[in-house]
Amino acid sequence: MALRATHIYETGQLQAALDFFKRMRSELSTLRKCRVWTDKVQVFDVNGDYFEIRALGYPDPDVLTALKSINTVFNPERIHESVDRPYKEFKTGRRHPWAEDRVM
Amino acid sequence: MASVSDQPSLNDANDRDPYNNNCYGTLEDAEYKLAELPVLDVHDFNERIIRSYEDGTAEKQLPADLSVARSLVPAGTATLRDFSYIAPEIPEYIPDKCTGCMDCVTLCPDTAILGKVSGENQWQERLEKIADPAEREMFTEQWSEPRKYYDGPKKKLGEGGKFLIIIDPSKCKGCAECVTVCDDDALKMIPKTDEVMTTIRKSHRFFKEFGPTDERYVNDNLLIDMMLKEQTHIYVGGAGSCAGCGEGSALRMLCAAVGAKYKDDWGIVAATGCNTVYTSTYPYNPYLVPWTNSLFENAPAYAMGLRMRWNQKGWSEKPIWCIGGDGAMFDIGFQSLSRLLAAGMNVKVFVLDTQVYSNTGGQASTSTFMGQNTKMSVHGKAVGGKTERRKEIAQIAMMHPRTYVAQTTCAHVNHFYRCVLEAMEFDGPAVVCCYTTCQPEHGVADNMATDQARLAVDTRAFPMLIYDPGKGETIKERLSLQGNPAASEDWWTNPKTGDRVDFIDFCRSEGRFSKHFDRDGNPSETLLQANQERLENWKQLQELAGMLGKKKPAAAKKSQSEKPAAKPAATVRNGNGLPHGFAQGAKITYTSGGSSVTGVLASIEPVVLSLDDHTEIEVSLDVLRKAIAQGIVSKQ
Repeated sequence: MALRATHIYETGQLQAALDFFKRMRSELSTLRKCRVWTDKVQVFDVNGDYFEIRALGYPDPDVLTALKSINTVFNPERIHESVDRPYKEFKTGRRHPWAEDRVM
Repeated sequence: MASVSDQPSLNDANDRDPYNNNCYGTLEDAEYKLAELPVLDVHDFNERIIRSYEDGTAEKQLPADLSVARSLVPAGTATLRDFSYIAPEIPEYIPDKCTGCMDCVTLCPDTAILGKVSGENQWQERLEKIADPAEREMFTEQWSEPRKYYDGPKKKLGEGGKFLIIIDPSKCKGCAECVTVCDDDALKMIPKTDEVMTTIRKSHRFFKEFGPTDERYVNDNLLIDMMLKEQTHIYVGGAGSCAGCGEGSALRMLCAAVGAKYKDDWGIVAATGCNTVYTSTYPYNPYLVPWTNSLFENAPAYAMGLRMRWNQKGWSEKPIWCIGGDGAMFDIGFQSLSRLLAAGMNVKVFVLDTQVYSNTGGQASTSTFMGQNTKMSVHGKAVGGKTERRKEIAQIAMMHPRTYVAQTTCAHVNHFYRCVLEAMEFDGPAVVCCYTTCQPEHGVADNMATDQARLAVDTRAFPMLIYDPGKGETIKERLSLQGNPAASEDWWTNPKTGDRVDFIDFCRSEGRFSKHFDRDGNPSETLLQANQERLENWKQLQELAGMLGKKKPAAAKKSQSEKPAAKPAATVRNGNGLPHGFAQGAKITYTSGGSSVTGVLASIEPVVLSLDDHTEIEVSLDVLRKAIAQGIVSKQ
């Protein structure tokens, strides 16, 4: 399990975070899950390797777009709610049906 | 016609397969499986026809001869097929972290990850046979010493068992299901470089030449260990199913459970569907038992005819399994299935329930969930996906005279095996309906088969059940919902997060329902109805099982005067039939193979023993009761 890359999010600079996700995606194997803390987002692959965006947490409105960009399975209505555990964990295993996104 | 006389056998090493990974035998090398049929020459078929397909000359060089015309395929020819080139990644085993749980071996859809146990002394002797010291060291380093096979047996037998997980590079499709189900980080996906593939190919070769698992280390009470035996590998790798196919795992596990008892002395009648396409893509056949396929709609009727003929031949003890998808069993072959069940004939039916016609491209079946976006019920402005309710084949089958019925999933390994084994014990028809993913149709990743099957049960999308007519006179006595979390509640609350999960949470995790959520993540009206429909189905099952309206033990507290007379201490039991002291959270000791491990009874529904050596054992309540009675599980 290793941290592969980090990005520091700056308010109003969501596109930079999305670009980071897109750029680093190929560094990981099949994505497995996503952990969202109050102050960071971690994206794990099946090997447990991960990358991290710091200064972006579940209280932040921009987290919605960031999570959607990596297929995270979460309820947008409840994403900003505080919880009494360190982080919220979501799967990232949803795909397009009918193999729309697959290259054979 | 291609000439094969001057070429090495496909079952031996050759230029294309220098380490002979594509050869018969799953755990050990074996010869071609011959057939006593005058119309099928197995050697000719494998050496001439399979060879032509493997080297790509079949289309131009193979004549339209009798073998093709008869569509006969020898057993297990898929084992000669090479899939090593189709995926960019392959699993790597990390021995230090392995606990020997066997989840990866059990849940692989392609018989591509295999396990073996060897006593230390024998292990040392066998390693010496590897001539090259560097290769011997490379192979030696891959063995592990998990407590399950090493520490415990060492105390009992005097020598521990060395355990090895190996990848068959010719069968792995790189789905990462094994890595996903491994809770111990003992597997990881790595890129397929030439160096990696050479090491994996060599290791697989050494593995196959190493000899069988030492049976002293196989505990027959642990069903998940059954795949350590060659006789359970009836479904060999090389089928043409998609990477991570949930059906593949289900068929493998079915074959393992039947093979554990009957070896290859049983047969399969398959209804046309995805399962017949990927298991009989000419000339590849992954089964080592007789298998036949006629039409989409008549498999149960065909199985009845076969049953009668086998009985005439004095083969009444040989099981016949009739396999089909939901399209075949819920829809097109439904009357045929009903006829079989009504006839009371000793045929077992296995339904691969993907809730969609997978093979033909995703049309709705009656098994399809309400709201699901499929062809013929495409989500749009006028219609929000399928609007009908899902048909429940289990409830319908239960109403047939004296029929054993079960619903299960591969994610619940013990429940699955128990259903299959009980179905075979039952003297009459049986239906085992298994939830399986179809990755492209469901819109989930290749590694998600087990995760999604578990979520389907947790969210009441697909409740597990066993209906055994031998258990009593009433439906309530016969029907068990054990294995479903919080079985007396409407919905289950995840103890880790405190969140209640329902069918909408299941839908949120799969692409087939994605159009039912707006930009803010709110579910559509159709999905809310579907959620209610799933709850109603669950409540119906609770009612049939006598659980609806049943007060929880705390709420059902009676006054002292109403209490029945106390039973003798030895027979005093909880409501679940367990002796007192075996409540959730109880500290227990698990004794196996002469050694003991302490742990906690982490859960009653389902029964989960969480041991201090990081092993989790999930068993049925019945098995736990027996284990307590036999002293295998005791209070600390």
